[in-house]
Amino acid sequence: MDFLQTILTPFEWLVSMIMVLFHDGLTAIGLPAASGVTWTLSIIGLVLVIRGALIPVFVKQIKAQRGMQALQPDMKKLQAKYKGKTDQLSRQAMAQEQMALYKEHGTNPFSACLPMLIQMPFFFSLFRVLSGVAKANAESKGIGGMSHEQVAQFDQASIFGAPLSAAFLPQLQGGDLSVAVVVLSLIMIIAMIASQFITQKQIMTKNMSEEAMQGPFMKQQKMMLYVLPLVFGIGGVNFPIGVLIYWTTTNIWTMGQQFFVIRRMPTPGSPAYKEYQKRREAKGLPLLGASKKKVEEVVEEIPELKGQRSQPQRKNRKKR
Amino acid sequence: MTRARLRGRTDSWPAEVASFVWHLPRNLLILVLKLYRRFISPSYGQVCRFFPSCSAYALEAVTVHGALKGSWYAAQRIVRCHPWNAGGLDPVPSPAHVNWDDPSKVPFIVQLNHPDFFLAAQAETQSRPAA
Repeated sequence: MDFLQTILTPFEWLVSMIMVLFHDGLTAIGLPAASGVTWTLSIIGLVLVIRGALIPVFVKQIKAQRGMQALQPDMKKLQAKYKGKTDQLSRQAMAQEQMALYKEHGTNPFSACLPMLIQMPFFFSLFRVLSGVAKANAESKGIGGMSHEQVAQFDQASIFGAPLSAAFLPQLQGGDLSVAVVVLSLIMIIAMIASQFITQKQIMTKNMSEEAMQGPFMKQQKMMLYVLPLVFGIGGVNFPIGVLIYWTTTNIWTMGQQFFVIRRMPTPGSPAYKEYQKRREAKGLPLLGASKKKVEEVVEEIPELKGQRSQPQRKNRKKR
Repeated sequence: MTRARLRGRTDSWPAEVASFVWHLPRNLLILVLKLYRRFISPSYGQVCRFFPSCSAYALEAVTVHGALKGSWYAAQRIVRCHPWNAGGLDPVPSPAHVNWDDPSKVPFIVQLNHPDFFLAAQAETQSRPAA
């Protein structure tokens, strides 16, 4: 617990500081400091900053996924080459070639998770800040970059009659459920599920190459389609309104980003890509990807049981 | 303690005992690594960004280079495994003298870590009687 605290403290500070900056800016242009609207807009501002800063990471992730999808034909060939070879040495040889393939395409499935990992501390710390407000107020403390007055202000702030620090389920358990909290929670849960659903459907129907649509990636996408609404539903009733505002906004951002990606940088070989090429053609722009080298070599055979062997030489032999 | 035993016995005992004691740390490490690879690693599936995986790398390094140098190589590899490394093929540095002419005498882990070479060698030996 202490270890987690140490890691998250700087992130907490950053997250709360960004919110305070937005809050100060908004009050400077005349919004009431104690109003829930001002704090809500600060949370939305925080989303814009974090997601904006993550755009380069996201672009990198897209390229990594692109790489994974682009090497599918090569991967198929590799699987065909080692089909039916179940001995350990052959499996190892296949793993080795796979790794070389990833490297050649500048991608690695086991490094693709990095962009998601980077976001984790931000989400955790944000959650801790937003959900810790009530407690910090009760103990008359500040959180990260927020002073105690600001914490108190935030804790008392409400939007459409629902306090930012109130949550559905804890209220239900406490027996003081307010209609505003219920309605607002439900609206945001629905908004999150809807935006997630649209995003996911867009990816699956428009932005996947034909090979990928039959592969394990599709299965993963399908699973997300049904698991994430569950996550949102469970989180939605447990988390305070402030966290839900963040979550909903970030989901809507993802959806917008996905629209942009499908329109401007679609996955090669996907339906969206074909449309993109058509639009380029209509505008008289040169088509993309025409110069890329074609991979149409014959399936390579595993060294067959024949022929003269050249003197074995270990590839990585050190020269001394 | 092992050292004292080693010193006291080398002159009078067969060289095999000295060899056993000398290789004991290495063999203990090999045992631990093999147990790990047999019982713990399978529960993760393939997660490594490198080929060979870290445990395979460590096993080969310790087998080929001995406990001290092998552990050092293995430690370096583990440090290399971080999110900013793109991964890829990363073989164990070869010792000064490599004799792979007879695959049956090469430790299995070395074969597994250099499958391209040993598959070719295997194909070669299989084809010999026929030729």
